[in-house]
Amino acid sequence: MTYPVELRNVSFYYSAGTPIQVAALKNINLKIGRGELVGIIGHTGSGKSTLISHFNGLLRPSEGSVIIDGEDLGNDKETLRAARFKVGLCFQYPEAQLFEETVAGDIAFGPKNMKLPNDEIQSRVLKAAEFVGLRPELLDKSPFDLSGGEKRRAAIAGVMAMEPEVLVLDEPAAGLDPGGKNEILAMITEYRKRTGCTAVLVSHSMEDIANIADRVIVMNGGTIAMDGTVNEIFSRSAELKNMGLNVPEITRIFIRLRELGYDVPTDVYSVEKGAEILREIIGRRSPL
Amino acid sequence: MREKLIELNNVTFTYEADEDGTPGYTAVRDVSLDIYKGEFVAVLGHNGSGKSTLAKMMNAIYEPTEGTVTVNGILVDSEEKGDEIRRIVGMVFQNPDNQIVATIVEDDVAFGPENLGVEPSEIRRRVDEALKTVGMYELREREPHKLSGGQKQRVAIAGVLAMQTQGIILDEPTAMLDPTGREEVLKTIIRLNREIGITVVLITHFMDEAVQADRVVVMDKGEIIADGTPREIFARGEFLREHSLDVPQSTELCRRLGFEECILTPAECVEKISSVLGGAAQ
Amino acid sequence: MIRDITFGQYYPGKSVLHRMDPRMKLVLTFAMIVAVFICHNFYALALMVVFAVSAVLLSRVPLRMILKSIKPILIILAFTAVLNIFYTKGGATYFEWWKISVTEKGVNTAIFTVIRIIVLVVISSLLTYTTTPTMLTDAIERLLSPLKIFHIKVHTLAMMMTLALRFIPTLIEEIERIMNAQKARGADLESGGLIHRAKALVPIFIPLMVSSFRRAYELAFAMTCRCYTGGNGRTRMKQMKLRAADFIALLLCLAVIAGIIVLNIFFTRII
Repeated sequence: MTYPVELRNVSFYYSAGTPIQVAALKNINLKIGRGELVGIIGHTGSGKSTLISHFNGLLRPSEGSVIIDGEDLGNDKETLRAARFKVGLCFQYPEAQLFEETVAGDIAFGPKNMKLPNDEIQSRVLKAAEFVGLRPELLDKSPFDLSGGEKRRAAIAGVMAMEPEVLVLDEPAAGLDPGGKNEILAMITEYRKRTGCTAVLVSHSMEDIANIADRVIVMNGGTIAMDGTVNEIFSRSAELKNMGLNVPEITRIFIRLRELGYDVPTDVYSVEKGAEILREIIGRRSPL
Repeated sequence: MREKLIELNNVTFTYEADEDGTPGYTAVRDVSLDIYKGEFVAVLGHNGSGKSTLAKMMNAIYEPTEGTVTVNGILVDSEEKGDEIRRIVGMVFQNPDNQIVATIVEDDVAFGPENLGVEPSEIRRRVDEALKTVGMYELREREPHKLSGGQKQRVAIAGVLAMQTQGIILDEPTAMLDPTGREEVLKTIIRLNREIGITVVLITHFMDEAVQADRVVVMDKGEIIADGTPREIFARGEFLREHSLDVPQSTELCRRLGFEECILTPAECVEKISSVLGGAAQ
Repeated sequence: MIRDITFGQYYPGKSVLHRMDPRMKLVLTFAMIVAVFICHNFYALALMVVFAVSAVLLSRVPLRMILKSIKPILIILAFTAVLNIFYTKGGATYFEWWKISVTEKGVNTAIFTVIRIIVLVVISSLLTYTTTPTMLTDAIERLLSPLKIFHIKVHTLAMMMTLALRFIPTLIEEIERIMNAQKARGADLESGGLIHRAKALVPIFIPLMVSSFRRAYELAFAMTCRCYTGGNGRTRMKQMKLRAADFIALLLCLAVIAGIIVLNIFFTRII
């Protein structure tokens, strides 16, 4: 069975072979299944960015191998190039990559590099713009005339237009207000529903990860410290805290209530569910 | 009677028209706002609500198209006044990289007082004190580009402290930081206000930061749409969400449970729930 | 990592060299660079090496840092050595094959030149290791201040130098980020002819310009906010004062230069 993304014993060193060699990844083994939505958390410098840069061959492992869709990236230029399009990587603050004269031109940059026929490029641009909710009349504008939120969407559309099998987003909502953040997250959920693609989401927001991820990977000191379902990971709040991470605010409330001796579950990740549970307990306690 | 530090009277700010004749965008519309000495005010608003433009008028980087700005009793009506104003209120910006001038931390903190013509020995004293206040004294000889985002922002705050301004305006200082950096910076801001008594205007779209303020001003479409204590503001969850904002999860949970008072922090929330459940559990 | 670039980087310390007046350090560094060039034989050069080694020891900058500054010029050193070995002819022939020959003079010149370059690099990197860029630009500003009578804006020039030093690492990181973003969209920066490669730079260059303008704009705001109005009425936290150590250093350097001149006269010229 092949996985869209598989890493075998991957280590990565910055300044490899010099006295100032720094290990950024240490012996990583990872398989991401088709259609999964994996959330990656970890504090700054834990190796998250280095890890995702291996998925599309931007960084080559110092040791071990990266296998994308059954093909070892090895050193073959063609495979490496193909990986760029199979794994669409969208970095933090992607609006910094906009450069074309028109929004449509910018979204088309990836598909053009794939050497697709013109009409295919056109249809992909329209489709991607629709996915991210960019109005068609914006497509002929200069990307630099868009608002901050629109620029972000245009940049994400530029990655989606490559129609990658795996979409990797590094902090897609960084710097956005709550409304903007919710829109981006809803957009990702909708995109996955419609395309069924595999997705990886790097985020500092435990609330967001708890809400949309199927599986959570916790990076710490260049290794995978934890890997499991949302429930499995957030039930280990003490360990997370030691790694400079936290659990969602709502979960913290329930953990604290449990510590105080109340019989409440601690696997609560949304306000809706939390309110439901508490309403029931309060109802039982105070017979009206 | 409390003294006013910053007074905005019916200010409007319109960006200049484009060369092709497209009229300029009006970012702030007929806003009146008083900031009192010693206050900690959070200005909340979604991206593009005009809160940054408002901040830039508060220390005379932008001159209002209409209306007046008065800082510490000085009416801003000329460029020379601007320099005078900026000795009274300092400013910290969103991007930590674009406001650090020097290649060594302590040299950067000294930049402001140097511009003010302060005596060298006094600058040294102020720089050391400011760096200690923000917890960066140990790293005073480092190069800024090797610091974390939170550390860089604390250096920027120390740079304002060393100028000994009465007030500090922070324009989304945590928007580009990770949670650890945000916490460091927020703690520093709270300390400036509570321990040193500096007037703080914090522009933000993070609810958990606004919760810490004495007063929250909400902006949308260039206008002030709400002004009150955090409890008054966050009691209006639906209203905030309409304006692309939100309330903390603790607040939302308690609202859904039908509690009347507005809860702001997880600690308050736990206390309230346990009191409803009737003290100690089995 | 790219942030580790050693480019005029300061190594914090409290040694005699760190505490010297940067103006004196700057002037003496230039004098000693000239001194390296007037060495004409191994005896004179040996004196220079002794000087450089003592300076390194006095500075307490770890050897590792010194080696780091030599590392980037290894290729130049190798190139110079090879060039000298094969192209300088004279004296006994050590080795001959086809059209290639290695002579005594060639070997000597090669060794001499390599040592000379290393000493040059060590001396100049010692200046930047023991002096903060701010101090250095301040020193330049003050040394050049007589130029003010020709209406040259010395302060502005010095400020520009400081800002350039401050923003070089930031811009390098930015270029790296943009390159990665475009490579992730399949931009091919490595293959193709000259024209293709030049065209491939557009997606890097435009975002870089856009962000640099934004940075410049924000930086100008930030400087205004901190009451920067140019050089007038500005004071400095770090004062420059010539002290005993500076005069001792001056005398020592003069002695070394005198020694080199004497050794040049008494021994045969190699180069």
